[in-house]
Amino acid sequence: MTTTVTKARDAVPGRPRTPRGGRRGSVLGSTGLYLAVGVAALLFLVPFYVLIRNAFATDPEITGEEWTFFPTDIQWGNITEPFEDTTVDFGQSMVNSLVVGVLHTVGTLLVCSLAGYGLARIPYRHADKVFYGVLFTLMVPTAVTFVPGFVLVSSLGWIDSYRGLIIPGLFSGFTCFLFRQYFLGFPKELEEAARVDGLGYWGAYWRVVVPNSLNFFAAIATITFINGWNSFLWPLVIGQDPSAWTVQVALSSYMTNQTVNYHLIFMATAISLLPLLLVFLFLQRWLVQGIAQTGIKG
Amino acid sequence: MSAMSNSNWSRRSLFRAAAGMAAAGTLAACGGNNGRSGGGSGDSLVQYFHAYGEAGTEQAVKRYAKAYKDANVSTQWITGSNFESKLFASLLTQNAPDLFEFHPQIQLVESGQVADLTDIIEPVKDDFNQADIQSHTVDGKIYGVRMIDDPQFFFYRKSLLEKAGLEVPQTLDELLEVAAKLTTDKVKGVYLGNTLQAVIRPMIWAAGADTLDAKNQPAYHTDGVVGGIKQMRKLFTSGDLLLDAPADYWDPSALVQGLTAIQFCGMWAMPVMQKALGDDLGIFPFPKVGDAGKPSVYNGGWSMFVNAKGDKVDEAKEYVKWLWIDQKEYQEDWALSYGFHIPPRTSIAQSAEKLKSGLPAEGVKLFSDYGHFDNIGWTQAMIKATEDVFADSVRKGGDPEASLDKCDKVVGAELKKLFG
Amino acid sequence: MSTTTELDSAPSAPAKASPARPRRGLRGSGTFNFWLFTGPFLVGLLIFVYVPIGWSIWLSFFEARFTVTPSTFVGFDNYRFMLENDNFTGALGTFTVFAAIIVPTTWALSLGLALLVNRLRFMRAFFRSVFFLPTACSYVAASLIWKMSLFNGVRFGLANTVIGWFGVENVAWLANPDPPWYWLVIVSARLWLQSGFYMILFLAALQNIPDELYEAAALDGAKPGWQTFRYITLPQLRATSTAVILLLLIAAYQAFDEFFNLLSKTTWGRPPLVELYYTALGDNQDYGAGSAGAVILTLLIILVTLFQGRIMGFGRGEESK
Repeated sequence: MTTTVTKARDAVPGRPRTPRGGRRGSVLGSTGLYLAVGVAALLFLVPFYVLIRNAFATDPEITGEEWTFFPTDIQWGNITEPFEDTTVDFGQSMVNSLVVGVLHTVGTLLVCSLAGYGLARIPYRHADKVFYGVLFTLMVPTAVTFVPGFVLVSSLGWIDSYRGLIIPGLFSGFTCFLFRQYFLGFPKELEEAARVDGLGYWGAYWRVVVPNSLNFFAAIATITFINGWNSFLWPLVIGQDPSAWTVQVALSSYMTNQTVNYHLIFMATAISLLPLLLVFLFLQRWLVQGIAQTGIKG
Repeated sequence: MSAMSNSNWSRRSLFRAAAGMAAAGTLAACGGNNGRSGGGSGDSLVQYFHAYGEAGTEQAVKRYAKAYKDANVSTQWITGSNFESKLFASLLTQNAPDLFEFHPQIQLVESGQVADLTDIIEPVKDDFNQADIQSHTVDGKIYGVRMIDDPQFFFYRKSLLEKAGLEVPQTLDELLEVAAKLTTDKVKGVYLGNTLQAVIRPMIWAAGADTLDAKNQPAYHTDGVVGGIKQMRKLFTSGDLLLDAPADYWDPSALVQGLTAIQFCGMWAMPVMQKALGDDLGIFPFPKVGDAGKPSVYNGGWSMFVNAKGDKVDEAKEYVKWLWIDQKEYQEDWALSYGFHIPPRTSIAQSAEKLKSGLPAEGVKLFSDYGHFDNIGWTQAMIKATEDVFADSVRKGGDPEASLDKCDKVVGAELKKLFG
Repeated sequence: MSTTTELDSAPSAPAKASPARPRRGLRGSGTFNFWLFTGPFLVGLLIFVYVPIGWSIWLSFFEARFTVTPSTFVGFDNYRFMLENDNFTGALGTFTVFAAIIVPTTWALSLGLALLVNRLRFMRAFFRSVFFLPTACSYVAASLIWKMSLFNGVRFGLANTVIGWFGVENVAWLANPDPPWYWLVIVSARLWLQSGFYMILFLAALQNIPDELYEAAALDGAKPGWQTFRYITLPQLRATSTAVILLLLIAAYQAFDEFFNLLSKTTWGRPPLVELYYTALGDNQDYGAGSAGAVILTLLIILVTLFQGRIMGFGRGEESK
């Protein structure tokens, strides 16, 4: 047990390792390295910069004669504008997205991790066939089953409800696949120890497997939350009533048919990214080490 | 029809069973149901509107609905590009709207999706623009009530043409010349929208051709149209055409922000343009293409339909009759208080002060002199086929004859499905 | 945790047996436990994924316009219609081009970023965050930024401003297919959105390579840099690379959002799903033809994945675990 834990800790990204090729370690090489990373990072940040620039500018400036790198007069008032809009309840849509995002994440982790563990670790004659059945769903484009799926969910009476927004998305073949890969590589010794303690599969799973896999759960949680937050077409048709809109649906409603309100669109987009950045900054340090423990490793 | 509803019913009960399973097998309800109260009461209706851009339109639609005493009408206001996917997906379910706005489409009639509204329109039929009645009629039955007519034509900055000593173009050739002379390093000559889709039908008509003829046979594959496409290609590659503007043709931004001197747009945007540009604004129809041509204007618009598959067809029809037949005050408000649209009711259009003078009056004249209306048999598949022609031949530079031949195949197959 | 006890005390024979004979718990009743763990997921998968898939397949044999409960059986007509449809078959070609560009580029870029970040001694977390950040952005938001500010065709677009410094005229990036600049717009958007995620996968894999391997290589006289990369790092990343390429392939096949948002009314640059949307699922509402196209596409994805698995040994990697 202790061995694995230390092994996992080895992979903590923040911890300095012997840098590769570091023996050359010249100041020149290191400068070049940071220069390359710096340039790449700048390029990656350009779209965010554009987003922020537009969010704090006036419309004439966004569409001005020349590109201006910084708004000459920063419009702080733009921040509250999405929340003052009477036609779209932006605040409510943020709340909906948060509720849906959190429940979606918790539910997906619960359902898919159990299934992944079952597929990876519990001996059953037809486990392979079941696994291929799961793998198959990855190949079917979701956009294609979209309409039948929607008709089905609406026959359940789940339109305009959190149920309708959350439950159909819980059964992700992809997440189940990732969990299976991870549990395949989970050290058997730990479960042996659980057996000595007299635990069944269920008990061993909750008392030993899950507590030792929190990194991986955090990694999957990050990805699941991001995907849930960003999904658009499903919430669009499920949320018939504006009170059931998620933030992506609200965003799209700013891009209305006529007279585009640029700064409002960009500001609302920027605000909609904030919770994700918080989630990400909070969870990201587990991301690499969590994924380092999946089956898809070197 | 009865077979269809039968199978609907049995499927529905199947899903109920499945729902029970789902609830027992996985999570029970999580989170509240924040939707509308589950149906049953006969006095609540749901209507779908696409999001109009003009300020005040959404409030207006809701205000009309509130004034109606016999039912509680709730409105879904759906952003432009999402309107079709949401409308059509919902129409397949029990959560379908009871009434919705759309364009006349023969498949909606053939598939039994929209209800026959002849009985409510018949008494006032003569007061409607007859072209609007015709475009909603299949086999003598009228399936939708036109709310607004939206003529589409060119808007131009008078000052820029005057400065360059140019006349308003009378032919497509002249439009090309004018565009070339107006183009500077800051301002392009003309804007037709990023995809050119808006000018396809106007160009076909301006070339003296049509989409379908009176016998529902293809009428667009003519030498005039081929010539027009070649001219359009020339314009597209000339560097005088504004491309990839941030807002599309339906938005007045390109003209107002000075990105272009001439823009194809709709009458709805006239108030915004007038506010921004004052008197520095003129209009002209799509100029004639070739010698046999004639200037043209596309009279688009929106109509109200009743969902025939819903369970409140009569209530919905009552509401449509109340608002779009009886309440002339609201109809005029809807057409003229926000953007400019032409009321399809002759009596309203004639008494409307706002349309009697100045640029709006010119717009009305273009509408009546050169206007072409929707043909209900010209379906989405056919529209898409002609869009492909423009994509292939104008934007990509392919041979017009070849792409029109390809279009013929699609349209032919579609016509065969519809009319046998 | 209350669910644990509830489910354990469920009145089913094997469940009762397991607390009674705890020592046999892990070994015994495999079948029951298998279904206990996978059951909830599989039931959901059946209802919300397999029922719609089955429904789609059923629809593909019917004339289904403006309805998903059709009654006119047409056999393979819809399949014939889709396979004879130049635009659809052309879209399958487009996909191949797109996959051929985007899969190797994303692979190389994310591996490159991972290698760079992995060598950093300070500010590593900062740079890793910067590269991962775009993953949080939705395709809708990215398309908006790309279309309205970066690559619009007018003078105040950033791309046009930058090339303007070098005296180059404004380019219509999206409207004009000749030259096909639209690929630059789409590929850059997708790279920006995706690379960070795959970089994390590679970073994780790089950190799993035992240091001893490098030490041994150094003793054997391998020069640091290209040689170690070629003979140590790359082979060690084989499993990750295989998985990344599989995921990228599936993602490329299912590409929809950025194409849908960035290109409209074109006959080029359309991946199969966009083509299906326009031919069948959009305004046209022909669910029969749309479903037939979907089935064809799914079969193709399965074929390519199997082929890729055969070549790169995805299956083998798993079984050896």
